[in-house]
Amino acid sequence: MIDFKNVSKTYPNGTHALHDVSLSIDKGEFVFIVGASGAGKSTFLKLIMHEETPTSGEIIINGTNTSNLKRSKVPYLRRHMGIVFQDFRLIEKMTVFDNVAFAMRAVGKPYSVIKKRVPYVLELVGLKDKMKCKPSELSGGEQQRVSLARALVNNPEIIIADEPTGNVDPEMSHEIIELLSEINAKGTTVIVVTHEHDLVREFSRRVVLIDHGRIKSDIGNNDNNEYSAEEYSVVPDYPENAVVIPD
Amino acid sequence: MRSFGYLTKEGLKNVWSNRIMSIASVCVLISCLVLTGAASLFSINVEAVVESVGQTNETSVYIKNEYSQLEAVYIGKEIEKVDNVASATFFPKEDAMEKFKVQLDDDQLFAEMQDRNKLPDAFIVVMDDLSKYDQTVADIMKIEGVDKVSSHSELAKKLTDISNLVGAISLGVTLALTIVSIFIIANTIRATMYSRRYEISIMKSVGATNSFVRWPFLIEGMVIGFVSAVVSTGAIAILYEVIMMAIQKAVPITVIPITDLIWFVAGIFAVAGVIIGFFGSLISIRKYLKIEGNEILGW
Repeated sequence: MIDFKNVSKTYPNGTHALHDVSLSIDKGEFVFIVGASGAGKSTFLKLIMHEETPTSGEIIINGTNTSNLKRSKVPYLRRHMGIVFQDFRLIEKMTVFDNVAFAMRAVGKPYSVIKKRVPYVLELVGLKDKMKCKPSELSGGEQQRVSLARALVNNPEIIIADEPTGNVDPEMSHEIIELLSEINAKGTTVIVVTHEHDLVREFSRRVVLIDHGRIKSDIGNNDNNEYSAEEYSVVPDYPENAVVIPD
Repeated sequence: MRSFGYLTKEGLKNVWSNRIMSIASVCVLISCLVLTGAASLFSINVEAVVESVGQTNETSVYIKNEYSQLEAVYIGKEIEKVDNVASATFFPKEDAMEKFKVQLDDDQLFAEMQDRNKLPDAFIVVMDDLSKYDQTVADIMKIEGVDKVSSHSELAKKLTDISNLVGAISLGVTLALTIVSIFIIANTIRATMYSRRYEISIMKSVGATNSFVRWPFLIEGMVIGFVSAVVSTGAIAILYEVIMMAIQKAVPITVIPITDLIWFVAGIFAVAGVIIGFFGSLISIRKYLKIEGNEILGW
């Protein structure tokens, strides 16, 4: 589903964000991307979303080489993806319903479809009864679930969550990852970038560790999806202020 | 096209939620349109006056005093043969004196002057095409016995010169104000885009096409342009009435009634306003369509 072949990314200011990264994520996988601040995680996501293009190498998503994708085709690539942001990025003046509906309107869905689909997705994330609330009336965890509903509403094949638990309490963090696991169980590929290594160890999933722009380890990437506790013990705890390579 | 209604509504909402900047843009655009319109209407009226002066144009051709009236009649035949001369009517010196007497309105002074009767015989010449005035006068002056030529078309020429000058100035002012208007509208739209950068970043992240992102802002620019055009049309109609009434009181000329011009002005204003608004918006949007992700949010 997602193939990185010898991908490197150097920014115009000379920062080398990724070095010769090769990685394959299959359809239906759940992958944690971990690493210190500035390790290259965000660049990795930006390359998937085509917010950035690689300096060298190839990125293939759903069989399409996106490295030289025309700008006019980018929106259609992104319709295969749902993005969850650390800061939720909800529109304050809109209700929960409208925030989620906004993603459907942006891709030209008619209101007759929107009014059926949005309540359904909000029910999936447990917020059907808060449809008329404004984001400011919700807790951090609830806001993140609205953000998740918005990512899900267009029925994407891939969910990309950039630090989805960064602004919520530990209990809610667990719930968010649980919710992502449920979504994954229905066949959606899920990629989660996170700093929270305790959470990563708690969920037995594939873990890709990026360090200094390189893949340092790719744990649990085996065929039978069975990972040992020992394997997860190698996921390091980075100090809060660790900066390797800024991106 | 399914989203047309939604996007248009969003554009109209933009105008309202960004109303201070919208009002500023409308005001600048109104000044641009009113100034341009006033200059154009002035030119149209000057041209009408020039045309009417041209239609009643009579040029006096004076015959040298040493020629007798019989010789003057022959000279008149020569004048009639000149290209572009429609007619040449003899105006004897006696008639000129009578006319002068009426104008002078002083019998004693007139009696003194009549003794000296220095007024020449003349021909009142009407030309077919005033634009060939200079060449025709030059041809008439070549005829033996012709002393000098004086004309009422000097007024027409002066008016045409003023009209040309006003036209040139208004073109410059229009150009400058159009550029200013485009940039003011561009700034208004930029402010809207800044306040809606979250929405733009979300739209792009979920796969909205550039035209979907662009359309509400283009609508906003065009609405600002159209509202400016409507207000400008009203303003110029009132200004025209006030100024032209004042001019008519001072000078006995006939001006074109505003009712004959207003729909033409409204149409031109509407088209110009919408085009300026459209391009003003387009300038701002281009930047946002090129950048991605956090760059849109300025992070």
